Amino acid sequence: MPRIRAAAVSFLNARPLTAALLDSARIELLLVEPSTCAAMLERGEVEAALLPVAALAGQDYELVPGVAIGSDGPVSTVILAGEQSPVVWDEVYLDTASRTSQVLARMALAARGIHPKFTQMPAADGLAQARGTKGALVIGDRAFEVQANHVLDLGREWTQSSGLPMVFAAWAARPGALRPEDVAEILRAAREGLGRRTELAQAFARERGGDPERYRRYLAQRIRYGLGSHELRGLETFLSRAAEQGLLPPTKLRFADDRVRSSRIRRRAALDVALQKGADGERLDADEAELLDEEAPLLELGLAADARRRALHPDGVVTYIVSRNVNYTNVCTTACHFCAFYRPRGHAEAYVLTRQELARKIEETLALGGIEILLQGGLHPDLRLDWYEDLFRWVKATYPGINLHALSPDEIWHIARLSEIPLEAVLDRLVAAGLDSIPGGGAEILDDEVRRRIAPLKSSSDEWLAVMRAAHRRGLRSTATLMFGVGEESRHRATHLLRLRELQDETGGFTAFICWTFQPDNTRLEPGDNTAHAYLRVNALSRLVLDNVQNLQTSWVTMGGGVAQAALHMGCNDFGQVMIEENVVSAAGTTFRMDAEELERHIREAGFTPSRRNMQYERLSSGSEH
Amino acid sequence: MALSTLAHRALERAGLAAIRDKVLSNERLTDADALRLLESSDLAALGALASHVREARHGDLAFYNKNVHLNFTNVCVASCKFCSFARPDDRAASEGYTMTVEQAVEHVLSKRDQGITEVHIVNGLHPDLPWDFYLEVPRRIRAAWPELQIKAYTAVEIHFFARLFGMSHAQVLTELRAAGVDTIPGGGAEIFAPRVRRKMCDDKADAEEWLEVHRVAHRLGMKSNATMLYGTVETLAERVDHMARLRQLQDETGGFQVFIPLAFHPEHNMMGKAFPRPTGFDGLRTYAAARLYLDNFDHVKAYWVMLGERLAQTALSFGVDDLDGTVLEERIYHMAGARTPQALSEGQLHRLIRAAGRVPAERDSLYRVLRVHSVDTARGR
Repeated sequence: MPRIRAAAVSFLNARPLTAALLDSARIELLLVEPSTCAAMLERGEVEAALLPVAALAGQDYELVPGVAIGSDGPVSTVILAGEQSPVVWDEVYLDTASRTSQVLARMALAARGIHPKFTQMPAADGLAQARGTKGALVIGDRAFEVQANHVLDLGREWTQSSGLPMVFAAWAARPGALRPEDVAEILRAAREGLGRRTELAQAFARERGGDPERYRRYLAQRIRYGLGSHELRGLETFLSRAAEQGLLPPTKLRFADDRVRSSRIRRRAALDVALQKGADGERLDADEAELLDEEAPLLELGLAADARRRALHPDGVVTYIVSRNVNYTNVCTTACHFCAFYRPRGHAEAYVLTRQELARKIEETLALGGIEILLQGGLHPDLRLDWYEDLFRWVKATYPGINLHALSPDEIWHIARLSEIPLEAVLDRLVAAGLDSIPGGGAEILDDEVRRRIAPLKSSSDEWLAVMRAAHRRGLRSTATLMFGVGEESRHRATHLLRLRELQDETGGFTAFICWTFQPDNTRLEPGDNTAHAYLRVNALSRLVLDNVQNLQTSWVTMGGGVAQAALHMGCNDFGQVMIEENVVSAAGTTFRMDAEELERHIREAGFTPSRRNMQYERLSSGSEH
Repeated sequence: MALSTLAHRALERAGLAAIRDKVLSNERLTDADALRLLESSDLAALGALASHVREARHGDLAFYNKNVHLNFTNVCVASCKFCSFARPDDRAASEGYTMTVEQAVEHVLSKRDQGITEVHIVNGLHPDLPWDFYLEVPRRIRAAWPELQIKAYTAVEIHFFARLFGMSHAQVLTELRAAGVDTIPGGGAEIFAPRVRRKMCDDKADAEEWLEVHRVAHRLGMKSNATMLYGTVETLAERVDHMARLRQLQDETGGFQVFIPLAFHPEHNMMGKAFPRPTGFDGLRTYAAARLYLDNFDHVKAYWVMLGERLAQTALSFGVDDLDGTVLEERIYHMAGARTPQALSEGQLHRLIRAAGRVPAERDSLYRVLRVHSVDTARGR
């Protein structure tokens, strides 16, 4: 079997894609400079190359789908550096090694209204001369060592101006050169290499010095290796803007798998099979979940989820609960990038609720027919287990009828660590003090590749699941959640759902599942696709994948009543909560509000019968009778 | 795209098989069919059937334009109970305002560098402005900005001008056309049924008058739009009656470009206490039913200012192919409590449309496509 020849750079960020090709039987890998990659491919000296994207311009190369080297926000290794602020630069030295970065640098400066003279110069010389009103473009591993007063990260600049990820390099091949097996080999190598990032970071540190942890974070959090539709839009936008500005010739992207029509048709058939299986309540595997997430049209997912909902809840009743969200403190040490609610300790707006305030809130809740309080807060550095025990005992002694739905897994871990008491013992003591059930918040996306990027200080996926497992074993029930639209990929959402399903098989402790999209106002994280359409698709997908979770709630608080009504026809059987107070979402700019009457009107108009319920999803009589 | 097995099963289960068969064989739906659709609560099935029709007409394209609104006066002699915009007179105390011709023209011309292709002009029925005022505004806009398309004055205003200035509808429209007006907006239709108009708006153009203005405009070669204000006192049968009259006139003239259902907004008007805002479900179902019933209308529009971005985007899966435009300076719905942004950038509209698996297509006032923003590599979903 003839091996194909492929060229790639030896930069750290390429290693997860190339490391596992070094001993490939199908592909012979040559490590070269970025500009050499392009020249070798153009001259036909190699059949494929990990190519800086500017080199795609004006060519008819075919891209390998699925993987690339990119960023969504700062990238750290494509920077403009100088002694003074970029606004005063009159000349910029462009590293001759990469045309992509040169184009990006010109676009970023133009976007800021800076129009210096550009001079081609090798990076080492450029950086040495970047004094006074001169700046220099520095790319690749050299950028790790730059100590300059002023640095513009070009990944960040791009994402801020376009709202899209940047793709720096992707696997490209001469037309017709790659067989499906070669594409599969490149993707296999990527999967393997991405799993070895810690090891690759350590090897790199041994080679050239530097902090292995810093390199690991760079590979795990800065660089994005996916090439999904969101990244493709970023790539397409970059190329078309560059063409509009006369920096690159126009380009139409093509994919190596476009030639493999039969596999497309197989995929379409597989899609129909997966939809039908989901509608019939048969178990979907990870590939099917991912396929549905990537390709199923909204209404197809919706129809399948609706069929499933009808099978699980044939009587057309839609439930809801009257409860109150109480955030006992906004002090938090986690600093998640998507959160607009937290304040550091000592901040002027930091608070811990007093018993009097809490009593007032509970009494108001009871007066409004509420039966539950959902007590959650930030990870306060001073509140230990005994504080919560005292609080819970007091709540239960004062208001014996109320359901105490409290403490997300992160809070429970935090209490355990702070109090230096094992998790299981913490849960036992909280239950003894009155804890009835736990909310499923903070799950975000149970895939550490995403979690580390959006909430680096939060519990890991395993830790989150461990709390739920331990709680369920003690007879506590909980909900499960998914927050998406943070620039994750289909495979991350599929992993999340499968991990929840696996634990549910084991414990059966999840009463319900709720998903919502990331709400970006007042936060530091750039959203991915967080639109209503994405919400409805992921919600329907969740109904199909989570075959062992009985109930799905709408998220009317983030999506509004109308979209929530549509969700009732695409998988949900519960409208959620009449919320008497919800601080966290409203801090991020979402302010939909409804009382019980309005919520019931939405349920009825959508063709269902409303019924109040408790946390265990037992129906209460009062809801539908007035 | 052909209807999927899942869609067929859902339509059959919902008792909509007969309607589906008519739709698939391009047979016209009856008024009873329309009522059946408006009464159905099988939202996903309705959406699948409406999407089928919408995709057969327009593929994946979703249209929008870049426009600016001009409301040069809110003083109005009519007393429509659903309105939050109108004021009785020009006094500051009553929050009335009337721009001068210069101010009105400048309001539009100041948007010159924003890539806009259409101005949408709708006003209160002011008792004292001279006829020339209404001509002078489009005339000066046309002179200063000849490429800008002018969509001006609802049928209700045109009927009011005819009465006030003693002219026929044809005379009014001919003079407006000579002054630069290209198309007639669809407002003021509300619900045609006399019972409903008596309760909501008994002192402006009635159904026959509204339809007559559009008939005359169409005969003069002008295109126009048609709206329906839903969610107040009307019955579902009265919504069907409204759409039936529009479909009939469209058979006669072919001059309507788009049907635009508008949801009643309850704040700051006389009806808000009696009627809550219609739910999003009602809107989605109405769009789907309209798409299926109005077989002679090319387009169905979801006006995002009224619905919000989330529902407007969702409506793209329920028969809607048009989201209106960037809408600089919207006043009428915002005075009725709309909490949507004052304007969406073209990029924001693209994002909503693309995320819904559609392809943004910028159109002009006459629904001619100016530019299709296709991204060949984006996976449709």
